[in-house]
Amino acid sequence: MSAESRPAVAEAVVVPVRSGGRSRVTTAVLTYVVAVALAAAVSALFILAMRGDVALAFRTILSSSLGSVAGIAQTLNKISPLLLGSMAVMLARQGGFFNIGVDGQMYAGAIVATGLAFAVGGALPLVLMLPLALLAGFAGGAALGAVPGALRARWGVNEIFVTVMLNFIAYYLTEWVATGPWNDPITGEAITRVLPESATLPMLLPAAGAHAGVLIALVMSAAVAVLLGRTLLGYEIRTVGDNPRAATLGGVRLGRITLVTLALSGALAGLAGAIEVVGYHNRLILGLTPGYGAMAILIAVLGRMHPIGVAVASALVAVLMVGADSLQRSVKLPASAGAVFQAIVVLCVLLVEARAARRARG
Amino acid sequence: MSLWLLVDPHLWQQTLVYAAPLIIAALGELIIERSGVLNIGIEGMMLVAAVTCFVVTWQTRSAAAGIVAGMGAAAILTLLLVYYAVALGGPQITVGLGLYVLGVGLSSLLFRVVFGVRTSPPSVQTLAPVPLPGLADLPVVGHVFFHQTLLTYLAFLLVPLVHLALFRTPWGLRLRATGENPRSVDALGISVERLRYGAAAVGGLLIGLGGAYLPIVLTGTFSDNMTAGRGWLALMLVIFGRWMPFTALGGALLFAYVEAFQFKAGIVEKAVPVQFLLMLPYLFALVVLVRIYRGARAPQALAVPYDREARG
Repeated sequence: MSAESRPAVAEAVVVPVRSGGRSRVTTAVLTYVVAVALAAAVSALFILAMRGDVALAFRTILSSSLGSVAGIAQTLNKISPLLLGSMAVMLARQGGFFNIGVDGQMYAGAIVATGLAFAVGGALPLVLMLPLALLAGFAGGAALGAVPGALRARWGVNEIFVTVMLNFIAYYLTEWVATGPWNDPITGEAITRVLPESATLPMLLPAAGAHAGVLIALVMSAAVAVLLGRTLLGYEIRTVGDNPRAATLGGVRLGRITLVTLALSGALAGLAGAIEVVGYHNRLILGLTPGYGAMAILIAVLGRMHPIGVAVASALVAVLMVGADSLQRSVKLPASAGAVFQAIVVLCVLLVEARAARRARG
Repeated sequence: MSLWLLVDPHLWQQTLVYAAPLIIAALGELIIERSGVLNIGIEGMMLVAAVTCFVVTWQTRSAAAGIVAGMGAAAILTLLLVYYAVALGGPQITVGLGLYVLGVGLSSLLFRVVFGVRTSPPSVQTLAPVPLPGLADLPVVGHVFFHQTLLTYLAFLLVPLVHLALFRTPWGLRLRATGENPRSVDALGISVERLRYGAAAVGGLLIGLGGAYLPIVLTGTFSDNMTAGRGWLALMLVIFGRWMPFTALGGALLFAYVEAFQFKAGIVEKAVPVQFLLMLPYLFALVVLVRIYRGARAPQALAVPYDREARG
């Protein structure tokens, strides 16, 4: 499965190559414009099929996500799980791994953070409890990410299967804690009691409801970019991703890098889960992630596995997701339309890129 | 909980019911992988097949029409994957993951486009079991093996059929050669592209049949993510079965047994929270995964795009 060729990080940097006069960056921009236009056309067909107003739908997406302070707050809140999740996918991919387990790792981080807050949150002040809860999320995600890492390092088990299976296990574990031991009996749903106040993330825009999670996500993303680009560990991860055999011959301990990469990847997702708990819901709920993991994969592909690209793509997808949520109310288009739109954009980008690569080969 | 549950004939009968979609989808994936293409989006394709089958059955009142439509829908997606993989030499895992997410979203979207948001989900008549005359009256065995739906019988019939097609026909030989060494096939003047498209079409139809099985035999309705990882399990079964139909069947029966046991134990056993029982099949899969990679040997050209003009 590792036979797939991976574009090197350097490739995403602007280098004019084509003799025909078009720089690579123009080609990339054109690719995305064509892809978005195609995806928009397909989405318009869907809206028409539902007898919706196409122009109104597209206007609604933009006005609901960016047209008001409350909308911007919603968009900022969505950026935090999307950015951390896609950074998790990107980090794993740089090491040559596919992390399909972002959803499960988010749940794992959320469970550990919630458990810690219930256990000691009443006794600790916010300055102590909040970092602890975030750290707990980080650790919970890392623990779940270490499982595919260890299995791959020890027995060569493909991490795709392990991360997928762990998604289901983490989901049912969340359902159990949210309906069983930590359940809030008043709601009658898979929701835990409210966390102690010391485990609450401060607000960025208090009136509009934006929490500070997006700042944490941005700082962590910068840290990941530095880790990959400027440290020995990052260099080793990228070497393993490029050519595991050469890395081993060069003295990189393959098993160790496999374990560390997937654990770190899981930790980013776990942190995202903890932020959702302490920042957004103030409790653990079963629908904590409405498929952020799948979105994260697409964002990482759209962002070309490059930190800046991934950050930009996360912001765009956050706009799309908030917009899609409001479409549900105005055009009666279900929220899954957002995922479909995004998947079509990605497939179009891949199509245009593969065609260009084929032409370049002659 | 009594240990008799483990050998309950009804549990065995249910094992066959749950094994059928796994083995059908695994056979489809096996054919595609034998041709040298890795289709990792099978979970999403089964979902699209499931929703298509459900919608068409609901509108036409014909299960046959629904099944055929579901099979076609999945085949369109596998052909799309092969277009990327074969015609363009694109990255198969990335495209496969894209198709997986597309399938998850599209199935949910299609269902709501057709039915809107409802409190009580619409449902269709599931296929009735067809007892085989004579055989169905045998003690124990009759109940376990011969009180099944036509689709379930078909699933088990497909195993020897696919085996024969792969190992006893010229087409099967060429297909397997394409997955091992496409250059040799090309050198004989046989089109690698056509073989891979053919494998994708046949495999896609089977994956679709596996997806269509879920609403039309198991539930009678569609719900988001109703495949519940069966696509990924089918993908695993191909490795488990070492790319051989009969060994994959063994794996399907094993997984289906755990799945059926978990459902049955959930009814009988009240002390264990149901979530831990629901986890069982996935925990079991993790344990099995550790074993199946030992000595597994995939087709040599799996997931490697074939470029005629590259120097071999």
